[in-house]
Amino acid sequence: MAILKLANIKKNFINGEVKEEILKGINLSLRKGEVTALRGASGSGKSTLLTIAAGLQPATSGKIIFEEQNIANMSSEQVRKIRASKFGFIFQFSHLIPFLTAEEQLMLMLEVSKSKLTKQQKKMEVNRLLNLVEMEHRKNAYPPSLSGGEKQRIAIARAIIHNPKVLFADEPTASLDSKRSRDIMKIIREITKTLNITTLLVTHDEDMLLFADQVIEMSDGQILQSKINN
Amino acid sequence: MLIAWKELKKNKSKFFSLGTIVFLISLLTFIISGLANGLSQDNASLIKNLPNGEFYMTKDADQTYSLSKINHTIQEKLLKTEKDALALSIQMGFLNDVDGKQRSVSFVTASDSKFFPEVSAGEIILDSSMKEKEIQVGDRLTNNQYSGEFIVKGFVEQSKYSHAPVAFINIKDYEEIYKVAEMQLIYMPEKVVSQDETNGLQSFSNKEFLNTISSYKAEQLTLNMIVWFLVVISGMLFAIFFYMMNVQKIGLFGILKAIGIKTSSLFYMMWTQMSFITFVALVVSITISHLLNVFAPKGMPYYLSMETTVILSIMFLFIGFMGATLSGIQIKKVEPLQAIQRGEG
Repeated sequence: MAILKLANIKKNFINGEVKEEILKGINLSLRKGEVTALRGASGSGKSTLLTIAAGLQPATSGKIIFEEQNIANMSSEQVRKIRASKFGFIFQFSHLIPFLTAEEQLMLMLEVSKSKLTKQQKKMEVNRLLNLVEMEHRKNAYPPSLSGGEKQRIAIARAIIHNPKVLFADEPTASLDSKRSRDIMKIIREITKTLNITTLLVTHDEDMLLFADQVIEMSDGQILQSKINN
Repeated sequence: MLIAWKELKKNKSKFFSLGTIVFLISLLTFIISGLANGLSQDNASLIKNLPNGEFYMTKDADQTYSLSKINHTIQEKLLKTEKDALALSIQMGFLNDVDGKQRSVSFVTASDSKFFPEVSAGEIILDSSMKEKEIQVGDRLTNNQYSGEFIVKGFVEQSKYSHAPVAFINIKDYEEIYKVAEMQLIYMPEKVVSQDETNGLQSFSNKEFLNTISSYKAEQLTLNMIVWFLVVISGMLFAIFFYMMNVQKIGLFGILKAIGIKTSSLFYMMWTQMSFITFVALVVSITISHLLNVFAPKGMPYYLSMETTVILSIMFLFIGFMGATLSGIQIKKVEPLQAIQRGEG
């Protein structure tokens, strides 16, 4: 069942007097419990597509249907609320808040998503998530003292602690070595399956495509082919 | 979770340096304000200690009270009809102490009133600062234009005029020294008189009267200009510092927006930090500047009132708020996408 549908998404940029077509009418359906990977060369439009689907930038035209509502027609405040409560984000660089401990990063996300849990329940949930990404022992550590892989694990925990419906990951392994990349992708895949959420990720790394259920290949703002992994 | 506090706690040195600058600027402002008030007290506490009312001098004196001569009939009529009204004269002069040393004073004489001490002929009441000149109750002081001797009857606190201690003398003695029969001014604590009664007289509020004293006006104008200039500078400093901090944090703001934090929450975060820094800096600078009230060297006229402190503190908080808010406009402009694409911040 599709939880997020992109219909005829177009994105143009005006560069001086030149109009650049970054996305040329993309149609895509994302299903629950599946990891969908977007691959393609630089400039193919995959990151732009991910950020449009995540409500981080508007499309020039087209529909983004999430839970039967068109996000493209919503106000920026309505989109912010959806981002805060229904979406989770993992970025290429973990982008953790430098002055918050690992535990506090997760607590902040629970507050942002207006979680109705009690303080005690929040603490338990934070511990559960840190345990899930095997980072409980580093819960009081600040980001500068964490390795790249550890930061990304915390970023994953932050992205899912509020039980999002869709997880967006933009090159989540680009700054990691191959072993850590595989570990992170394994976690993302496991989370997608066990929590039955939808994951859309962008990657350059061919090896990481093995962890996706569906691979969409993009070129020049269009989908070249869609492949289902068995 | 109070994200503002977390940042303050983690980045102590950054916020400490901003707080130090606010502290130094506010301390300087409070001290200069204390000096302005001190000089103002030293120059005119005789007038400033009177309740807000009206001073009258003759119109032809052209706003120079020393040239004013109030007609006896008008004076008698006003003193008789108006509650608590009094006639007074002020002149600079000298007293010779028991050792024959000349002491500069402001001679003040007034009709019977509850605002000034009652002095009989041959007696004198001095401002308490004269005690430091080793003048005591019972001392006999002289004046070159006065035939007799003044016996020091007592001292009063905070009674200065034109940077000289006030010497209250009897009207008869004053007339002998300055060879005048008329008083210079009428003072009424309440303005209830009709136009007819004050015909030929010009009225001044306490503040307006103080401004007719040219040295007072120039002195206060200069010092107050410095005070307000410092307040404006501190506002600009706030704006510049918060601007610089916000520029450094654009990536952070973008990420916070991306994960769904409201722009207004980011403003609250900045305001909380600004208020905390300003509050702490103000508490320290207020404490030090008020300690100066007690420990300032005796020759330094310094007086910082609670009223001035509160007004300046509110101004600092307001201007800090404005400075931080103006610099925070860039927070509103930050796009989450920009931050994500900037890399690790």
